[in-house]
Amino acid sequence: MQSNRLGWILLAPTLTILFFFGVLPFIYVVYVSFHSWNPFAANPEMIFNGADNFRRIVFDEEFLNSVGVTVMFVFFAVLSELILGYILAQAFMKDFPGKSFFRTIHTLPLIMAPIIVGSVWKLMTTPSIGIIPHYLDEWFGISMNIGTSAFAAFTTIVIMDIWHWTPLVTLTLIAALVSLPPDPFEQAQIDGANKRQIFWHITLPMIAPAVVATVFIRLMDALRTVDEVWMLTGGGPGSSTRFVGVHIFKEVFPKTNYGYGSTISVIVLYLTIVACWLLYVTMLAPRNSKEG
Amino acid sequence: MANVKIDNVIKRYGSLQVMHGVNVDIEDGEFVVLVGPSGCGKSTLLRMLAGLEEISEGTVSIGDKVVNDILPKERDIAMVFQSYALYPHKTVYDNIAFPLKMAKRPAAEIEQKVTNAAEILDLTKYLKRYPKELSGGQRQRVAMGRAIVRDPQVFLFDEPLSNLDAKLRVTMRVEIKELHQRLGTTIVYVTHDQIEAMTMADKIVVMRDGRVEQIGSPLDLYDNPGNVFVAGFIGSPSMNFVHGKIEVKDGKKAFVSDGGLTLPLPETTAAEGQSVTYGIRPEHIQIGDTGVKMQVVVVEPTGSETQIFAKAGNDLIDALVKDRVMAKPRSEIGFIIDPKDVHLFDRKTEKRI
Ligand SMILES: Nc1ncnc2c1ncn2[C@@H]1O[C@H](COP(=O)(O)OP(=O)(O)OP(=O)(O)O)[C@@H](O)[C@H]1O
Ligand SMILES: [Mg+2]
Repeated sequence: MQSNRLGWILLAPTLTILFFFGVLPFIYVVYVSFHSWNPFAANPEMIFNGADNFRRIVFDEEFLNSVGVTVMFVFFAVLSELILGYILAQAFMKDFPGKSFFRTIHTLPLIMAPIIVGSVWKLMTTPSIGIIPHYLDEWFGISMNIGTSAFAAFTTIVIMDIWHWTPLVTLTLIAALVSLPPDPFEQAQIDGANKRQIFWHITLPMIAPAVVATVFIRLMDALRTVDEVWMLTGGGPGSSTRFVGVHIFKEVFPKTNYGYGSTISVIVLYLTIVACWLLYVTMLAPRNSKEG
Repeated sequence: MANVKIDNVIKRYGSLQVMHGVNVDIEDGEFVVLVGPSGCGKSTLLRMLAGLEEISEGTVSIGDKVVNDILPKERDIAMVFQSYALYPHKTVYDNIAFPLKMAKRPAAEIEQKVTNAAEILDLTKYLKRYPKELSGGQRQRVAMGRAIVRDPQVFLFDEPLSNLDAKLRVTMRVEIKELHQRLGTTIVYVTHDQIEAMTMADKIVVMRDGRVEQIGSPLDLYDNPGNVFVAGFIGSPSMNFVHGKIEVKDGKKAFVSDGGLTLPLPETTAAEGQSVTYGIRPEHIQIGDTGVKMQVVVVEPTGSETQIFAKAGNDLIDALVKDRVMAKPRSEIGFIIDPKDVHLFDRKTEKRI
């Protein structure tokens, strides 16, 4: 199999790099997760402690809380991004003056680094300096303080994430919508379906693969959101915006709990995979296996 | 069931006008076929009937009700697209059931109608499959099934058989015809295949470049084509045309072609010296030792028939005869033309004389 061997040779550089930068560190993290290791503790050695870290995690209220907060964040953010992204995508499917200008403008958030997004939003929301609390107060008499109000902090982060990532959803959905054949939609009109029925019975199932892919990407991204949140609230007030990413970060950097931090990472990875798998199974798999 | 009236319909895409005032009256229960060459506006007209395409000017009525501003879903029509337009993510069963589900019919009725349609169309085995697991002919039948469970006012078919092989096409042609006889619903059927048109239609509408050229029953169009285009379009193989003039020989009018060939002429109102196009169908030419002397060019036997291409000067004429003819190329042959089978058209206006 000449061509096969050539294929492997051509792939070798990539595979080598992947191995050293992807697989090895991953194995190392799994390895570390079975140890207690804090270089600044009384005993800085790496000590094997079996499944202790994993046992600890189950009763770690801070961790469980962070999972809860993250799930809530992911749910609100991704759902809003999907709905808003779909509406925008439909709007961009139509022709209107200045369309390409708006489409370009609306993707700008995507090219901003999360750390900058975090800083900008911090500027905008800091009480007494920020433009948002100022106008909320002036127009609606609402006082907003993300430093003291858990609700304000959490909501701001959700809105920030929506602002930052909806364009990605819009773009993938536009791509999906553009590639749809027109006939089933015309046929559905003739078959007597109204707009709502067409959406649920035709559009949604036909763009489902793209929707699921987008949700995967956003889900994985949202689950490891750290920098924006770190910049904006530092996980507070209290632990109201202490997402798992932030939790791991705090565990590993200020506390230098490398072993336990690794354990949380492994568990979070596991949870992510399970979430994606569930999503895949419920949304796409039944169809794929039947369409086979 | 309903009659359909297309009244002076004009269609523009931006500044481009593709339909120039089309008038068609379709009676309740009639099987009407729209034919014409590619790009003549058949699909556009059908889509305007369906409500998928805006009507620029004129009116379309279904059942004496103007439907210009009525949405497709409220027109109570069923349509089969040229591309079948099946829902790729639905099974055959769900595809056929879709219009009924949208109309919120009771589950038992849906089940019964879909099963029934599947039986008629021989799809029972495939109900659980997805469109991509079906052959072209099966997909076509699914599209048909989705239309017939509806019991609509009007059926619209846009070249539903064009993707099928010759044999399946004949079978489906018969099935559609049978369907029409059983249901008695008005059908508007688009095709560019004139054999389909001839065999299925109660009434044929011949179109060209966004205009109606002629409307009539199949045999009417065959016997009395109104112009050169219809004469050439209807009938297979298509009519022979010879350009020439009317001359008077021995006190009698005669047709002399530009190449000098004299052909038999019926009683005609054509004036002496008038430039005309002379038309004769291949199947109306007999061969023998008498008649017009021609030189054989090619002989094409098909088993049941023989088609003979022959020329005299520059004029090429073909004849279609039932016998097996063993004429050699370049041998001489006589084409016998009965004057009553001749069609004469004015050369400039192309209209029948
Ligand atoms: N969206 C459009 N914009 C501009 N012109 C169009 C559009 N759709 C169709 N046309 C033009 O309208 C004319 C009629 O098209 P139509 O599709 O009705 O032809 P048809 O008779 O169905 O041809 P065919 O047998 O190839 O299907 C064509 O000249 C075509 O170029
Ligand atoms: Mg067409």
